[in-house]
Amino acid sequence: MLLSLGLIRIRLLRRSPFLSGPRQLISLNRLAADKNRRYTPRKAMGPAFSSFGMFCNPILIVLVIIACISGNAQEGAKATTSNNSVVAEQGISLASKGNCRQALPLLKRARVQVTDKNLKYDVLMSSARCFIGLEQTEGAVETLLELNRRFPKDPEVLYLTTHYYSELALKASHELAADAPSSPQAQQLEAEAFESEGDWDKAITQYRTILEKNPQRHGIHYRLGRLFLTKTPPDVESAKKEFEEELRIDPSSAASEFLLGEIARQAGQWDEAIKRFQAAAKMDEGFVEAYLALGISMNSAGKFSDAVSPLETYVKMQPDDPAGHYQLGTAYARTGRKQEAQREMSLQQETAAKAPRTSPQP
Amino acid sequence: MGPLMSRRTLLQMLGATAIGSGIKVPSLLSGVTSAAAFEEISSTASGISWTHVSGRSPMAHLPETVGAGCAFFDYDNDGWMDVYLVNSGPCDFYTPSQPLRNALYHNNRDGTFTDVTVRAGVPGNAYGMGVAVGDYDGDGFPDLYVTQYPNSILYHNNGDGTFTDVTAKAGVAARGWATSAVWFDYDNDGKLDLFVCRFVDYSKTKLKFCGDLITQERHYCIPSIYDPMPCWLFHNNSDGTFTDVSKESGISRSPAKAWGVVAADLNNDGRMDLYVTNDTVPNFLFANRAKGHFEEVGMFAGVGLNSFGKPRSGMGVDAADFDQDGWIDLFEANVDHEMYSLYHNDKDEVFSDVSNPNGIGTATQLMSGWGLKFLDYDNDGDIDLLLCNGHPDDTVEKRVEGVKFREPILLFRNSGNHFENVSQRSGDIFSRPLAARGLALGDFDNDGATDLLISQNNGPPVLLRNLAGRSNHWLGVRVVGTKSNIDAVGAKITYGCGEWQRHKFKVGGGSYLSSHDPRIVLGLGRRTKVDWLEVQWPQPSGKKERFTDLPIDRYITIVEAEGKWK
Repeated sequence: MLLSLGLIRIRLLRRSPFLSGPRQLISLNRLAADKNRRYTPRKAMGPAFSSFGMFCNPILIVLVIIACISGNAQEGAKATTSNNSVVAEQGISLASKGNCRQALPLLKRARVQVTDKNLKYDVLMSSARCFIGLEQTEGAVETLLELNRRFPKDPEVLYLTTHYYSELALKASHELAADAPSSPQAQQLEAEAFESEGDWDKAITQYRTILEKNPQRHGIHYRLGRLFLTKTPPDVESAKKEFEEELRIDPSSAASEFLLGEIARQAGQWDEAIKRFQAAAKMDEGFVEAYLALGISMNSAGKFSDAVSPLETYVKMQPDDPAGHYQLGTAYARTGRKQEAQREMSLQQETAAKAPRTSPQP
Repeated sequence: MGPLMSRRTLLQMLGATAIGSGIKVPSLLSGVTSAAAFEEISSTASGISWTHVSGRSPMAHLPETVGAGCAFFDYDNDGWMDVYLVNSGPCDFYTPSQPLRNALYHNNRDGTFTDVTVRAGVPGNAYGMGVAVGDYDGDGFPDLYVTQYPNSILYHNNGDGTFTDVTAKAGVAARGWATSAVWFDYDNDGKLDLFVCRFVDYSKTKLKFCGDLITQERHYCIPSIYDPMPCWLFHNNSDGTFTDVSKESGISRSPAKAWGVVAADLNNDGRMDLYVTNDTVPNFLFANRAKGHFEEVGMFAGVGLNSFGKPRSGMGVDAADFDQDGWIDLFEANVDHEMYSLYHNDKDEVFSDVSNPNGIGTATQLMSGWGLKFLDYDNDGDIDLLLCNGHPDDTVEKRVEGVKFREPILLFRNSGNHFENVSQRSGDIFSRPLAARGLALGDFDNDGATDLLISQNNGPPVLLRNLAGRSNHWLGVRVVGTKSNIDAVGAKITYGCGEWQRHKFKVGGGSYLSSHDPRIVLGLGRRTKVDWLEVQWPQPSGKKERFTDLPIDRYITIVEAEGKWK
């Protein structure tokens, strides 16, 4: 659902361009400000720090004076740390009140100097929100990247990142619609928006329109083929034609080769599947799924010794995927490599235990 | 790289892709016509008016949606298959507004049945699930094991049309949520032991919330959120009692969420193995290693997980040697978007999934499968496949496109080297959506064409008369063990006519929550004689007996070591 957010927003653009732009950014900024409630040390210091501006706080002033008159190096270091904290707190406080223009220079300083992890987090979050609010894209993206690097699994970070990237996508699509409304790119975006809504027929019509004007455009037949497979029930024959057409236009379309292989695999046509997956992997050496699919097809065809190589490649590239270990374990087991098979099956169990549960069915 | 971004998603999604299956030419000797293969017998015509009541509640307790089973068995030994149907009943999460009971219908030999439940004394006493039939005490009368939540019942057949609840004395109450069960002789002592599938750790107090957090409307939970529990294995002490050997046999080392079980000698070592289908945890292949010990080898055997190394929602199960290579193959049904699997036995405890080349994966893409059975429905000598379907969640249609709560049954015909989906031309019943659960095979009219009994969740059972099997010749065989177990579970029957030869294994259990006519029908196609028939009795006998001068188009009985048929 989160993943579809961006596309849903793109769809909104198509329906009503006036919904996008500053108003949405304002609401996003408000949302961001509402979320600025995390920094626990500040709360731990008591209401004096959280309820009043830093410069008006007598306790803070006393602390600063104490720090300044301290004579030894250790105390000096502590004072510096304290100073950094003060600057950070000040920036955070200003940001929380919407005074982002004043806050950002302080936050910028604190961002470099602060070492406390929690305070760093708040400084970065406040910075990100301010950049977003001030529509300073470069700063916002840079800060979000740092946040994701330093706090990779933090839900708040991921939440804010999702929203902002979605906004960026929205903004870009708005520009595309405004500046080049009849371009194939704009039409493709439109088709993708239909696709994201599950309106397959409209998406197909839109893709066909693009092809009428730009019959050699790469990727459109591929998308059409994918759409035919997504239908319930899937239209496999139409999908195959589209993938084959895509390959005629773009012989380097590894994705089309891959899906033709997958269609063959689903039909139990192992030789055809193997040929297609081999081609896909050759076209795009980083196409990890092609190695897995190739290994699965080879195992299914009883070509266990042939399956070992692509599956070994796959598990090197995707060591956390239980599928690779399972298939490689199977290939090893059936070629007499019992110990290696046992190792892979154990890895399958370990990785499966860590993998999130995805099955939506009761 | 744009289009490649969702490759993995697509790969998995395409697990969901339906791809057309090829049309195959039927064998010249098959004698198959385009007329309906099965016809439904109305409840008015059969007299079977009983209906399953699930007790569907707003709380959406899981047992409500998974039951119940059914059986064909000849409780009075009159040579005609009677019918047993399992119902829900009182338990901690359910108090029926009207008393509910299971039903035993006596076969009147004219296509009608009479409800004899009260006289027979087999009503059940809790929330019923399934039934397994076996003559555990070898007195010649089949007994009933009825699985229930939260405890099961063993009904001993008194031989006079009545049964006695001997659960306490026998020690087979199996406290917990029992589902499918099977009688088989795991230690080759000639007595039928009992394996009972157990589903998750469940009770009213352990109910979890699954549904809409805003409206608080519940739907049935994915079982992954419940804890697995080990199945039970009960050893027959030959004195009317059983010993729970789950621990020492190694069975309890594998926590299960088991729905289905079939017992068969899968590695041809003379010992009965078990294949157990689990929901959201890997399936088990318990290889019987002798001396009462089982080793779980499902993952290495290739029947524990799907191609992506993930467990599926294994439900219905069966075993048969569909390709006549002498090694018993397996079938597993799963929930929608997981596809069912036909596993070919590659020997040495290794199987390969051949459902895709046979069009089974595609046909079952959106289906959820429960009762299923290999059978030679057209008596051409090739083993076909019947699948009963229905999604476990009655709200699924609101949430998942293309998936229905009620689904039609499917029939795959074996043309000798390939399965063909012949559902569309096999009768109106194959277009009718059902909330099917159990499936029992049995020739209730003794015409040699194996009929079907399908139990539905919260609905009436469906009785189907087989018309296709009548167009070919056949020989029905009842095998009775004397040194080997009396039901001859594990026997292999081979028969031939000229150069043509076929064999069938008598497996234990199979399907889902259900039990079957113990007789084996041997299809002959258009052949008008059987030149010879050989019975390989299960251990501890293991002997082979060969018979000639056999009749056709009738049932015969072969008793172990008597050297003749009757």
